[in-house]
Amino acid sequence: MSVIMRAGQWAREHSTIMLMMIPVIVAGFVIQAFGSSLVVNIYTYFCVSLMMVLGVQVFMGNSGILSWTHVGFVGIGAYVAGILSTSPMVKGMGVPNMYPFLVQLQIPVLPAIAMGGIVAALVAAIIGYPLMRLSDAVGVITLFATLIVFHVIMTQWDNVTNGPRTFFGVPEYTTLTVALLGALLAIAAAYWFRESAIGLKLRASRDDRHAAAATGINVVRARYNAFVISALMAGVAGGVWAHFITSFSPTSFYMSEMFVLLSMLVIGGSGSISGAVVGTTVVTIARELLRQLESTINNAHVLSFQVFGLTELVMAVLMVVVLIWRPGGVVGGQELTWPLFKRTTKEVDNAA
Amino acid sequence: MLKVDNIHASYGAVRALHGISVEVEEGQVVALLGVNGAGKSTTLKCITGVLRPTSGTVTFLGEDITGRTPESLVKRGISLVPEGREIFGSLTVEENLRLGAFTSYQRDRYKADLKEMFELFPILEERLHQAGGLLSGGEQQMLAIARALMAHPRLLMLDEPSLGLAPAMTDQVFELISQLRGRGLTILLVEQNAERALQVVDRAYLLTNGLVEASGTTEEIKRQVDITSSYLGGEDTKGCEVGR
Amino acid sequence: MINLEFVINTLSLGSLYALLSVGLVLVYGILKLVNFAYGEYIMVSGYAIYLSGAVLHMPWYVTMVIAVLAAVLVSFLTEYAAIRPVRTKSADAMLVTSFAVSVFLQNVVLLTISPRSRAVPLPSFFSKTVTIAGATTPLRNLLVIGTTFVVLIGLSLLMKKTVLGMAMRAAADKFTTTRLMGVPANFVISAAFIISGFLAGVGGIFWVGRSASVDPLTGAAPLLIAFIATVMGGMNSPIGAVVGGFVYGLLFNVLSITLPASMISYRDAFMFAIVILFLLFRPEGIVRRGYTEERVG
Repeated sequence: MSVIMRAGQWAREHSTIMLMMIPVIVAGFVIQAFGSSLVVNIYTYFCVSLMMVLGVQVFMGNSGILSWTHVGFVGIGAYVAGILSTSPMVKGMGVPNMYPFLVQLQIPVLPAIAMGGIVAALVAAIIGYPLMRLSDAVGVITLFATLIVFHVIMTQWDNVTNGPRTFFGVPEYTTLTVALLGALLAIAAAYWFRESAIGLKLRASRDDRHAAAATGINVVRARYNAFVISALMAGVAGGVWAHFITSFSPTSFYMSEMFVLLSMLVIGGSGSISGAVVGTTVVTIARELLRQLESTINNAHVLSFQVFGLTELVMAVLMVVVLIWRPGGVVGGQELTWPLFKRTTKEVDNAA
Repeated sequence: MLKVDNIHASYGAVRALHGISVEVEEGQVVALLGVNGAGKSTTLKCITGVLRPTSGTVTFLGEDITGRTPESLVKRGISLVPEGREIFGSLTVEENLRLGAFTSYQRDRYKADLKEMFELFPILEERLHQAGGLLSGGEQQMLAIARALMAHPRLLMLDEPSLGLAPAMTDQVFELISQLRGRGLTILLVEQNAERALQVVDRAYLLTNGLVEASGTTEEIKRQVDITSSYLGGEDTKGCEVGR
Repeated sequence: MINLEFVINTLSLGSLYALLSVGLVLVYGILKLVNFAYGEYIMVSGYAIYLSGAVLHMPWYVTMVIAVLAAVLVSFLTEYAAIRPVRTKSADAMLVTSFAVSVFLQNVVLLTISPRSRAVPLPSFFSKTVTIAGATTPLRNLLVIGTTFVVLIGLSLLMKKTVLGMAMRAAADKFTTTRLMGVPANFVISAAFIISGFLAGVGGIFWVGRSASVDPLTGAAPLLIAFIATVMGGMNSPIGAVVGGFVYGLLFNVLSITLPASMISYRDAFMFAIVILFLLFRPEGIVRRGYTEERVG
């Protein structure tokens, strides 16, 4: 079989990943070449968001557990990467109480981003095992509380994070290309995880915990692995984002951001990578449009008061509408494959 | 009275019923027999509205009740004794009975109904104010049946009433079914214990893999399924079900 | 430092927390839904007092009634418009929907009133100080203890002596079987949301009573408290919620006294760490209920 034929066959078998990556790459090239700086910015933000959402998807989609914690991991990654790569001069000025060794420490951007991911993964590794043993409501609430703890620490530890104030001066390393590469890596990682032994075990336990345990799957271990890997991805995404936005504060990693990530995942469909990609696309576009609308209204002084919160409000309504219409998300639980419409029909329980 | 006409049903992507038709005449006692997973409980679920059939109809007293909500069934006169009893463990025996009478409650009749239940099931009067969860398996079964009867049903359905009960209790349960039959109550019974079931019913249907394999009076069934007597025969040696 | 003042303080805080927690547990018991919009009912109650009191200049007793009614209404609408359509589809969808409702409510207020906090007019006797056996405390602290007591008694009478209460308890025990008894599912669930809204409304009055102000994010803190207190006390019973509320209040006050000044801003982090640790050893909470909470591993 020739190389071309073999490549074609591989592409067909892994059509999902092709279907996801190719449009992303193509759009990237087109926008880079022809797009205005605004569009380039939006697309870069899209790619970084995709990295974050995929990090959450790896955990949430495969385990079925709603996790609020991941935006905290993004924050950890952002702060670690930002602190490591920012120059001592800027840090000395901007963060008056920072530990001296941190002020002096500076490493190149890519290793800094990697460290961001690693530290996030470490935190997840330490706190994760006990958390993964809790289930259902208790688990959801505890993960939520963990985010609060992260936030409190970020806001209070001003020797490291500058407290509630803005941390600025991060070198602007993330161009569209960098973000695009990161997004592609994230897609690949999420896909690899999904198809791996851990991913399969985890999804088995999501669908029926007892059956899975009965076949010898260690549910806690599977969840734990997913938690740590997803934290790694989220941390790296945070690092990449830090070098895009160049300044941030703890509020960037709290409820409203979590809601945005959640909406991207839920609207697209948390069960699949395709869902994450579709959802991120839809939400990014929607939010941009709404933001433009908001500022147009405000600048035109059409109304007697300033319009704030319109974006979030519409997004919230959109989310509820999607959930009522298609609770599995636009894409649903199965990955998009080629051909696009070969899917099984599902019956619905009459629990009216 | 009850007519199930060629229903198909699925749990998600798993097809469970491939065309079940069952008829129950007024005053009859009918059994659905078959091994685990044959589709007996699924059929009941389709009748009560807990599961909506993908095709086919369910008619009761001439009215199409396919896919109606469970709440509306009781008002129409169908009462179910669920598999595993499903007693409200944190409620008292009396509260369980009171809930059974939820739709048909009339103050004067209620007291009389309770008295009747106590005659049928004296143990309930003894334990009237105890939490349902404290009763033994057999007592819970009695309570479940009493609870269903409180609704003055035209059709009583019992899902695996002998499941998990000691032989002595099983005897009591089937004795009770005979008694109820003697009072003219129409009964649809789902049972794995085919031998005992056939002793108390008029007609039976044998379900296998979501299809009706045999049907008829008890004699007819016994003749038809003589060879495959592995289906009938009292002892339940099946393992536990995963994921139920 | 443990004196009568501390005791009264803790009792009043615990009462408030208990009140809030029961509201959350009522809905959870039946639907197994952790209602993220619950905090916003408290926020709405606060804004209702503001709007009727500061904007429309109504007397305090009217504003209180409006506050509770507003919370009840919003709670009912949450169920009717957002939760009910999703209920049959999936449990996860319900959770996310409740969060979306929370975001929606916050932003409606942000949009239509203001992102900035608003002063809430309260009756003057709320802050009047009272002295009992040497301990001084604002009257509202005593009021909240009394109110909680009365409300909880009323609630338990409802649950124990009425058919509705019986139906709700049955629904919390076994939802589908309750329907098979002919109890309309929607009715029971709506009732739970209404009562939940009522509790949030009453609790909300006392919550904003402490700061005399309200802003779109006012609901976040009490939501978290209700969450933690409920989980700690035991998610499966209202009694657990009450116990959890009081224990949480106690823990909060104890930490407030014992933590060194430098660490006091980390108090929340400490609280949650303690609670999480507790849950690891006893996931079912303080008050057990017949069967134990499922632990995965």
